[in-house]
Amino acid sequence: MAKRGKLEIIRDILFIIQENRNSIKKTPLIRKSNLSTGRFNEYYSDLMRKRFVIEIVNNKSGKVVSLSEKGRKFLEKYQVIVSFIDEFNL
Amino acid sequence: MDKIGIGMGMRHLAEVTLGTEILYSFVIIACCLIIYFGTKELYELSSHKGIKYFRLSFLYFAIAYFFRSFLKFVLTTISKTDVFAFPTRSLGMVSLPLFIYFSSMSVMYLLYSTLYKRIKLKINLDILLNFIAIGLAIISLVIRNPIFNFYLHLLFFIIIITSVIIAKISEKKKHNHLYVVYLMLLFFWGLNILGMIIPTFFQTIQMLIYLASISIFLIMLYKVIKNTGGH
Repeated sequence: MAKRGKLEIIRDILFIIQENRNSIKKTPLIRKSNLSTGRFNEYYSDLMRKRFVIEIVNNKSGKVVSLSEKGRKFLEKYQVIVSFIDEFNL
Repeated sequence: MDKIGIGMGMRHLAEVTLGTEILYSFVIIACCLIIYFGTKELYELSSHKGIKYFRLSFLYFAIAYFFRSFLKFVLTTISKTDVFAFPTRSLGMVSLPLFIYFSSMSVMYLLYSTLYKRIKLKINLDILLNFIAIGLAIISLVIRNPIFNFYLHLLFFIIIITSVIIAKISEKKKHNHLYVVYLMLLFFWGLNILGMIIPTFFQTIQMLIYLASISIFLIMLYKVIKNTGGH
């Protein structure tokens, strides 16, 4: 299996959140993202800093991770971004 | 129509007026700014280094063209044939190094946007590129000799175009026509700069250079619009 690029990993993490009805705990998210905890935390802090994901605390399941509007936009535009990079050899 | 009439007609066609200059700059500045702002969202979402330098390259092209048209305006209004003949403290003289700085940065950023992954240098390349561009700008300000500056920029563009060719040869993806567009863009941009340093040099084919330059920028704009989904 080819090594995933940074954008692809971000897409995968955001996609997992979206697939889980936009609400997932951090531990299953780490497991499903196929990354080591250290690597996942690097990406996670980056996603939080860029406001792609938000943490929500609810009474029923505690702290969960959710997609922000910007995160949704990234998923929507992912293919455009990738083809743009490819087309202009960036 | 007799031969003299045809000759005069051809000369009139080749003559570039201030109106043509303004229109030419306006079209290219508009293309560059549409590319810059049209890719804003893609960069904000991806924070991709290649997209960042690609966008900056077109922003710098727009600024460089602005200073270029300003210099042409000053040249036309005070009827000088040499940008180096401007008085040292005039606005025209200050615009020349700014034009050279932004134009050098634009071509180097365009090249860097495609090559940054393959360049493994320990120094900050951003600083190095700025250093080269500032160096070229200062030389144009200090050594006010058109021939010297002409050869200096000729050498600069030969280095840039050679780098693009080397990058194309070492490219894994062989069927990419973008390098042809990049080469043409750099080639005609080089002619623009050389024509700026010695205005009489390309006078007879200036209109052709302008048409070719506009066509290349329009091709780039079309490719960007097509690949950003028209946003």
